[in-house]
Amino acid sequence: MPDAISAWIGILLVAGVTVGSRLSGPLLMTYLPLSIRVERFLQNLSLSVIAALVASMLARGGLREAAAVVMAGGVMVLLRKSIWAMGAGMICAAGWTFFAG
Amino acid sequence: MVSQSHSSPITLTRHGTRRGILQLAPVAVFFIPFGLAFGVAATTKGMPALQSITLSVLVFSGSVQFSALDLWREVIAYGSLALVVMAVNARHVVMGAALSPWVNALPLAQRLPTLALLNDANFAVCQGAFQAGERDLGLLLGSGLVLWSGWVVGAVAGTLAGTSVGNPVALGFDVVMLCFLAAMVTGQLTRRLRLVPVVVGAAVSVLAMPYLPLGWNVIAGAFVGAAAGSWVHA
Repeated sequence: MPDAISAWIGILLVAGVTVGSRLSGPLLMTYLPLSIRVERFLQNLSLSVIAALVASMLARGGLREAAAVVMAGGVMVLLRKSIWAMGAGMICAAGWTFFAG
Repeated sequence: MVSQSHSSPITLTRHGTRRGILQLAPVAVFFIPFGLAFGVAATTKGMPALQSITLSVLVFSGSVQFSALDLWREVIAYGSLALVVMAVNARHVVMGAALSPWVNALPLAQRLPTLALLNDANFAVCQGAFQAGERDLGLLLGSGLVLWSGWVVGAVAGTLAGTSVGNPVALGFDVVMLCFLAAMVTGQLTRRLRLVPVVVGAAVSVLAMPYLPLGWNVIAGAFVGAAAGSWVHA
């Protein structure tokens, strides 16, 4: 473990970069005038960023994670309730760990 | 489009904040074991309780905190730590930009706390709501607040309990965020059929993995997916 001072510097660094990243998107956009094209791009961006994130998590995971996502997606299509979908995905992952290790 | 189709002003009200809290409260319950997993991991690694809890309170991001924990050694390499945290965080910049048509309409004093609590889950919920005509950014603030609370409660409990709580992975809590985001994407796809940004974004993100540091592949996927979507649906 690092000594206390180094650790606190590290914590402030991680927190600073994280908060900065949360604030900087809208700040950057104040320099770009909103046109129809920009708005359309941002609309698509809001879907593509989540899809890219899920795909990246999946690619790093294994069959267990893939099964959980299929289960969550399936329940979402059938019931349209994100909480139920999330719960079903978790049960699927827990069951996988229980039975397959 | 945002500016043309809605004439009512963008606000941030107490009522909207309460709605955000209530709407995401069930998800926040699942954030408790997720935060717990981080607390346990930090304590197991030897991080003092006050440091671990402060990190969770200030950072509020599972992916960032677990990545930082990987680099938490006897001597911290601040440069590498900053670069890794930036890469993992890069998606927040993109999410903030996507929300900018609404967020930037608020006064600065309301904008800062609202954005400080931005995370994957409340972004996924709120961008859909705003595009569907929601005008109250209390939804973003309230959902951020309640998720942060769940995360902090879990992180404090996990830090103090240490390894005595068992392994959250065995119970499936490690896939909470993954499953919630997958459900949100599925829900949006079935409502408004916009396959191109989703399929291209996911494909580029995976294909770029061997060539880009983790985190940047997501950004590459997001931008190429959005460009493809804008081109096809123009």
